[in-house]
Amino acid sequence: MTTATVPTDVPPVVPHPLPDRAYERMTLVLRVGLGLSLAILGAGVVAYLLQNRGATSSHILSNNPILSYLSFGGLASGLADGSVGAVLTLGLIVLVATPIVRVASGLYYFRKGGERAMTGIAFAVLVLLLLGVLVIGPLIR
Amino acid sequence: MDLALFVLLLVLVAVLAGLVGSLTGLGGGVVMIPLLVVLFATSIPVAIGTGFVTILATSSATGATYVRDRLSDIRIGMFLEIATVPGALIGATATVFLTHANLTSALLIALGVVLLGTIPVVLSRRNVEIPVEMPQGPVARRLGLAGVYHDRSLNRDVPYRAARARPALGVMFTAGVVSGMFGIGAGVLKVLALERSMNLPMKVSTATSNFMIGVTAAAGAGVMLAAGYVNPVVAAPVAIGSALGAFLGSRLLPRLRNRTVRMIYLPVVLVLSVEVILRGLGIA
Repeated sequence: MTTATVPTDVPPVVPHPLPDRAYERMTLVLRVGLGLSLAILGAGVVAYLLQNRGATSSHILSNNPILSYLSFGGLASGLADGSVGAVLTLGLIVLVATPIVRVASGLYYFRKGGERAMTGIAFAVLVLLLLGVLVIGPLIR
Repeated sequence: MDLALFVLLLVLVAVLAGLVGSLTGLGGGVVMIPLLVVLFATSIPVAIGTGFVTILATSSATGATYVRDRLSDIRIGMFLEIATVPGALIGATATVFLTHANLTSALLIALGVVLLGTIPVVLSRRNVEIPVEMPQGPVARRLGLAGVYHDRSLNRDVPYRAARARPALGVMFTAGVVSGMFGIGAGVLKVLALERSMNLPMKVSTATSNFMIGVTAAAGAGVMLAAGYVNPVVAAPVAIGSALGAFLGSRLLPRLRNRTVRMIYLPVVLVLSVEVILRGLGIA
């Protein structure tokens, strides 16, 4: 590892540095999101194994339970019925939502700091992410 | 194979993928996807969907530490996501259409070629901890793409300024397409753009790439999940194992040299790439 000329004489130009609270909130979002999704998925896997004793791997590979729970109504009724497939799907949704919430958190702090350009960029990223989950995916299913 | 054994093996293989992913900063999908196809007989679109899950777990597990330590540059990461996210949406959509058109063999061959392509880039990664100062471009200046991080090994604060923002956007869009299409983080391309186009220090590049990988993967995962190409019974053990592997990797990383990490990565990816290409050609 080499160290080249260090630009100590040129201070960085950060017009509105993000507050410490923004970093703390994003760290919290990642930890809570991951922890919650892993807890749901872990409970789901144990329940699935208990429900399917004696089954083989070909059973998993040929039956994808997610297809029944991809609508809000399907997921809600699956969870209400205590379906393991619905629980696992919920865990995956929380995992996918974690970085999306992080982007929303960035949007909040850029807007609070009065940074119009960065607020616009964060908003566009958020819209594109939601477009993928809510429009493109269901359309091409 | 017995179901319990299958799930246990998935967790163990995902620990390995998460470990390699966090040590190399590449996300883990590059190891997990070929292993799912080769060892677990998973179909390629489901393997790709599961690859996104590996990346999300790895990125969230290691990303929290990087964000807390201010190593991830949120401003630069957010700016570049404007290119990676649409790229990932296009890539994932292309994968679904190729699957519908029964072109999964072509997808396998292309995946193998992309994995092989990461090898020379990883080998050529420069070892400059802090780059020589370069003038800021107009976009980078306007958005204030600059910052300071505390370097523990140098024991001081290091200021930095992003240089060329526009070329980095082009590389990031390509990285997004590759990521969305194959379920990998495309961290190799992201780090390349951050280090070489934007002239950022190595640690900031790696941490910001990790920050971005999660958001890019969320775009691809959203499409694949909503399109029904994520099997939760396969993905759940993989998420648990990947997060565990990433956690172990973040503990091991300070004790390992860059060279050691590359020596772990290269043979694993080389063997898996060849295996995937042979399967795509119908030989293996």
